[in-house]
Amino acid sequence: MRVRTLGLAGLSALMLAGTVGTARAQAPARKAWVHVRVEEANRQSKVSVNLPVSVVEAALQAAPEDILSHGHIHLGKMGKRDLSVSDLRKAWNEMKATGDAEFATVEDEDETVRVARAGNVMLVHVDKPSGKESVRVEIPIEVVDALFSGQGEELNLRAGFAELQKRRGDIVRVKDNDSTVRIWIDEGN
Amino acid sequence: MLKMILIGAVAVPTIAAGSVAATGVVVVDVREARNGQHIVVPVPLALAQVAAAFVPEEKMHMRLPREAQQYMPVAKQVLAALAEAEDGELVRVEEHNEKVSIRKEGDLLKIQVDDNGEHVKVQVPISLALSVLPESGNQFSASQAVWALQHARLTEIVNVQGRDGEQVSVTVY
Repeated sequence: MRVRTLGLAGLSALMLAGTVGTARAQAPARKAWVHVRVEEANRQSKVSVNLPVSVVEAALQAAPEDILSHGHIHLGKMGKRDLSVSDLRKAWNEMKATGDAEFATVEDEDETVRVARAGNVMLVHVDKPSGKESVRVEIPIEVVDALFSGQGEELNLRAGFAELQKRRGDIVRVKDNDSTVRIWIDEGN
Repeated sequence: MLKMILIGAVAVPTIAAGSVAATGVVVVDVREARNGQHIVVPVPLALAQVAAAFVPEEKMHMRLPREAQQYMPVAKQVLAALAEAEDGELVRVEEHNEKVSIRKEGDLLKIQVDDNGEHVKVQVPISLALSVLPESGNQFSASQAVWALQHARLTEIVNVQGRDGEQVSVTVY
C-alpha cells in the first residue's frame, strides 16, 4: 500500500474537513457528501474517500481547542512578508467590489498562474507549459466572504464551512504527469 | 425422589443454556486447509466477563497516549454522526493485487481487505465502537470491551481466509 497515495487521500479528506460544514438548520445540505478521488496511473492506484457532510461537521465541532477555537482559526502573520489576515481581508473587500475580473496573472518559464473572479466563483488556475500538469480550484465568493467574517487575524472557518456545503460540483482538480486529484460535493454516495 | 433428580437434570442445563444464550456467545471457528482440522471454540460472554473480573485492575486498562486522548471526543462525535448518516462506501483503495473497502451498512462498519489472495473481512457495529470509547479520562477497559460485544450479537465480526486455504472466523451469537 503506497503511503503517499493514502497520505494524499487522508490529507485531502482533512483539508475538506476544514472546508465543509456546519449549519445544522439547513436540511437539504445534510444529505451532501464530500468526495475525494486520487488516481495514479503508473501505479494502477485508485483511492476514493466519500464522507457525509454531517460526519465532517461533527469532526469540526469536536475538534480540539488548540486546532479550532470556537470555529475560528488564528493565522497571524504569514511568512517574512508580514502578509496578515486583516490585510487579506481589506484586499478581498476591494477585489470583491470590482466584479468579474482577472486579479492576477503570473507567467514564467515553469508555469502560468491565474486568479480571477467569474460570476460568484473565485478561480485559481495553475498550468505547466507542457499541458500535462494543471491545478483548478473553484471557491464560491460567499465562502471567501464567510471566511473573512472573522475579526483581526482570525478566519471564520465555521462560517466558511456553512457556505461551502451549499456548493455542488468540483472544488479542486489537480492533474500532473501520472496522477489526478479531484475533490467535489454532491448528494450521492 | 427420582422425579426431582430428573427435573434437576433437565432444568440445570436448560437454565445454563438459556443464560448463556441470553448473555451471548463468541464462537471462534478455525479451519485448517492442510490437515482438514476444524476447531470450534465457543466462549460465553458471561464467562469472559467473569474471567475479566479476576484480572488485576492495572492489567485491565490500556492507557491512551496524550495525543489520542484529545481526539477521543472527535472520534465519538464522528461515529455518532456516521451512525445516523446514509449507508455507502466511505473508502475504497485499489492497487495492483490489493483492494481495501470500508462501507457503512446500517449499524455496521464493514472493512474488507483483499491482498494477494488473502482476504480479511471485519464488521464492527458502530454502537460497539461507541460503547468502547471512553466517555472521559485516558483509559480503555478490557472488561468493558468484552461486554460491548453484546452490541455485535448475530454478527460475524472477523473472517480471515489465508492464501493456503486456512480460514478463521469470529462470530458473536
